[in-house]
Amino acid sequence: MSEQTLTTPPGPAPTRPTTLPAPSAAGALTTYVTLLRWTLSQIGAMLPLIIVVQALLAAGIIVGFGFLIPDIDPGTALFLSTGAPTVLLLTLGLVMVPQGVSRARTDGTFHYMRSMPVWRPLLLAADLTVWVIVALPSVAVSVLVAIWRYDISLSLDWPVLISATVLVTVTATAVGYAIAVSLPPLLAQLVSQVLVFFVLLFSPITFPLEQLPQWFQAVHDWLPARPGADLVRAGLASDTFTATGRDLLVLSAWCLAGLAISLRALVRRK
Amino acid sequence: MPDVILEVVGLTRSFGSVVANNEVSLQVRAGDVVGLLGHNGAGKTTLVSQLVGLLRPDAGTIRVGEADAVADPAAARRHIALQPQAQAPIDGLTPRQGIELAGRIRGLSARDARAAATGLAEELDLGPWLDRRALPDGGGLSGGIRRLTSFAMAVAAPMPLLVLDEPTNDIDASRRRLLWEAVRRRGDEGSGVLVVTHNVAEAERVVDDLVVLHHGRVVASGPPARLRGTQDRDLRLDLQLQPDGHDPTTDEAPASVRVRRHVRAGRRVLLTVPTDQAAAAVTWATTLREQEHIDGFALGPVTLEDTYLALTGSPPAGESSPDSQPDESDPHARTERPDEETAHV
Repeated sequence: MSEQTLTTPPGPAPTRPTTLPAPSAAGALTTYVTLLRWTLSQIGAMLPLIIVVQALLAAGIIVGFGFLIPDIDPGTALFLSTGAPTVLLLTLGLVMVPQGVSRARTDGTFHYMRSMPVWRPLLLAADLTVWVIVALPSVAVSVLVAIWRYDISLSLDWPVLISATVLVTVTATAVGYAIAVSLPPLLAQLVSQVLVFFVLLFSPITFPLEQLPQWFQAVHDWLPARPGADLVRAGLASDTFTATGRDLLVLSAWCLAGLAISLRALVRRK
Repeated sequence: MPDVILEVVGLTRSFGSVVANNEVSLQVRAGDVVGLLGHNGAGKTTLVSQLVGLLRPDAGTIRVGEADAVADPAAARRHIALQPQAQAPIDGLTPRQGIELAGRIRGLSARDARAAATGLAEELDLGPWLDRRALPDGGGLSGGIRRLTSFAMAVAAPMPLLVLDEPTNDIDASRRRLLWEAVRRRGDEGSGVLVVTHNVAEAERVVDDLVVLHHGRVVASGPPARLRGTQDRDLRLDLQLQPDGHDPTTDEAPASVRVRRHVRAGRRVLLTVPTDQAAAAVTWATTLREQEHIDGFALGPVTLEDTYLALTGSPPAGESSPDSQPDESDPHARTERPDEETAHV
C-alpha cells in the first residue's frame, strides 16, 4: 500500500467532542425480540423445511411403529399415537439442539453473542423460543396422522396439553443445550445419539411401562421421558390417561437443571 | 484521569504452561486510537477476550470506564463494542439487517439503527451489497464484505470503547482505506479505539499510540514517531536475498557503511544505515546484486515495520503460541495467517 492511500492525518483530532459516547444497551424486551429476529433470520429459508421434515418424522413414527404391531388394537393404537409427540419433542431437543449449539460454538456465533451487552438468560430464551416454534407443529401433525391412520378418538384437555407440550419441549431443548455446552462437540454428538436410541427403544413412551423390568420402571420414575410422555398423553386423551403431580415435579426438575447448566456455560469465563 | 476509557494493569493469563499474557499494562483514552501489534500467538486475542469477559485473568486489573471488567464483566460489556477476529454470525442476514440488529442490541432506536445502516453503507462503500443475503458456508457475500459488515456492526452505535480484532483481514485495498478512515473518525468522535492488527504499515498512519506485544509481554509502547525512533538520521536498506536464503551481509560489510540494525524477515534483510552513508550503501548493494548475492534492493526511509521486526524478531516456524492453544474460547486464533509474520508493506 502506498503512502498516498491514507489521507487521514495521524495524531489526535484537533478538537475533542464535548460529549463522549455513553455506555448503553437495549432493554430486556428489545434485546429478546432482536435476538429472536436474529436467530430466526439465520435459520431463515431453512425454517419451513425443518418444520416440514419434523412433521414428516411425526407421521413416520405413527405409521412406522404401526408396522411393528400387525393387528393393532384400539387401546394400543391410542397409546402409541399419544406417545409419538413426546418421542418427537425429545429427539428434537436431544439431537437438533446439540448440533445447532455445537455449530454455533465452532463458527464463533456463541462467542459473538456472548461478547455483546446482552443479559445472558435472554440468549438462552431466544434460542429456546425458536426451538419451540420448530417443535410444536410436529405435535399437531402426529395427532392428525394418528386420527387418519387408526381412527382414534381424543379427548383434549387444552391447558394440560399446551403446558405439557411446552414443558417437554423446553426440557428436551434445555438438556440438549446443556449437553452441547458442557461436552466437546464430538462427544456431545455421541451422547445425543445414545440418548435418542434410549428414548426410542428403552423409554415407556410408545409402549406401556409394565413391559419393562421392575428395576427399569423405577429408573424411569426419575428420568424425564416417562413423566413427560404421561403428561402429554393426559392432555391428548384425558378420558383414558392421567398424569401425577410427581410427573410434573420430575420433569420440572430436569428442565431447571438443563437451564441452570446452560446458563452457567453462557455466563462462565474460562 | 477522567478520559481514560480502558486501563489494563498487570494482566496475566496462562493456558497450562504457556503464559499468553504476561503482566500486560496498557491504556486507551477517549478519542485515542491505540494499535496493538504482535505476531500470531503474541497474546492479542487472549487480551481482547478478557476485556469482554470471555476469559478470566489469572492476575491484574481491567477497568473500562467506571466498570471493573474482572469483577463485573457485564457492566464492562455495556461500554465495549467488539469486532472479533472470527466473522460475525450473519448467515441468512443482509449487511443492512446485521447492522440494524447490532445497533438495536446496543440501544439504538429502530429509526437510528436504520439510519446507522444507511450511513455506514456509504462510509464503507457497502452500498451494492447492503441488501444481499449472506448464505451459509461463505455464499452470497465475499469474506471481505463480511468483514466490513462485521466492522459496521461493531460501530453501528457509538460506544465508549471500540475493540477491533484484525479488522482489515480479507478487505481490498480501497475499502481498507475507507475502513482505517472510519476507525480514525470513531476516535475523533470520542470513542477510545483499540485495534489489534498485523498491518503495521497501515496502522502506523492512523493510530495515536502503539503497543507491541511479543510472547505475551508488552515490549514497546508509545506514539509511532517515538517507536520509529531514528527516522531522521537513518535510512532503511531492504535487500531481497537469493532463493537459497544466504545472507551476504553477515559475511562482511564495507567499512564505509555502518549498519545500525540488522533484521532478517524471510528472504528479506532490513538494514538500518546512517543517512550520510546512503551513497556507500547503494554502491555496496549494487555490487552485491552484480555478484548475484542478492536479487534486488531498495533504499527508503526507516518505517515502523523495521522497529517492529527488530522488537519482535521472526519467531521460528512451529513455535508454540498461546493463541493457538486448544482453547474453545479462542476459535479465531487458527484463522491467523502464518504468512503475515513479516508484516505488510
